[in-house]
Amino acid sequence: MTVFVQPDTAVIVRQRLLENAEDVDALFVLAALHAHDGLVAEGITVLDRVLRLDPAYPGAWRFKATLHRMRGETEAGQSAWERAEDVEP
Amino acid sequence: MSGPAPIRLKLCMAGEATVGKTSLIRRSVLDEYDDRYIATLGTKITKKVMSVQDPKGAGLVTVHAILWDIMGTPTLRDLLKEAYYHGAEGIFAVADQTRKETLAALDAWARSIRSVAGDIPTFGLVNKKDLDPDPEFAAGEIEAFFEKRGWPWLYTSAKTGVGVEEGFRRLTETILADRPILKPDASGDGPRRPS
Repeated sequence: MTVFVQPDTAVIVRQRLLENAEDVDALFVLAALHAHDGLVAEGITVLDRVLRLDPAYPGAWRFKATLHRMRGETEAGQSAWERAEDVEP
Repeated sequence: MSGPAPIRLKLCMAGEATVGKTSLIRRSVLDEYDDRYIATLGTKITKKVMSVQDPKGAGLVTVHAILWDIMGTPTLRDLLKEAYYHGAEGIFAVADQTRKETLAALDAWARSIRSVAGDIPTFGLVNKKDLDPDPEFAAGEIEAFFEKRGWPWLYTSAKTGVGVEEGFRRLTETILADRPILKPDASGDGPRRPS
């Protein structure tokens, strides 16, 4: 039987960002890890960086809407949601 | 004269890490397989163009399936569910026949997706058919799992290609059969499901 070792997402993110600080996939997940740890504002900051690097990154605008809503920022959440409607494939 | 505009569908891959979601897409779209495991980080989107029989009898239709391949990290699943699953029209629920726990985990994935996208068609893919199954599986357990949920399913192997194309075709045909009305997509890229 093949034995798999579950990769640790945080470790992979850290490695990828050490190799390339502008790795948008790693930054997207870093934003999620921050939010998961309760650091929602930090998550939004990282997500903004993702969206500067790739304004059409799949799911990023909707995720930004989710994070703003978690902070009670309704207008910012709505604005991000509308951007998602424009850019999602 | 050009034919009818292609139909766009958003399909999501769901399942635990290392079950082979990315490899199934790679096999399906590129007809390639790579034994090295590279964990998916973030979101990967791939377009697969298919010609499938219109279940409503209008002959062959061209489908542009937009495949959303997401990382199989359960701890982030609910946080990212709107980002990933909004507008999804079908789910591939992927398990690994060499790890029994990946089958039971499909319920949580499907629940998360359906909480955002509604009661959309779900198709089970039990991957790694080329390897020996987990001996913990009881006889008939996999069949019973999918039958209980009413999800059609197939064994697949991203490595050999077994079952992969059939899985994509069958889920697509199920979605088309369920579609109420087709209306032109504002992007000019073909009709989409009514929102």
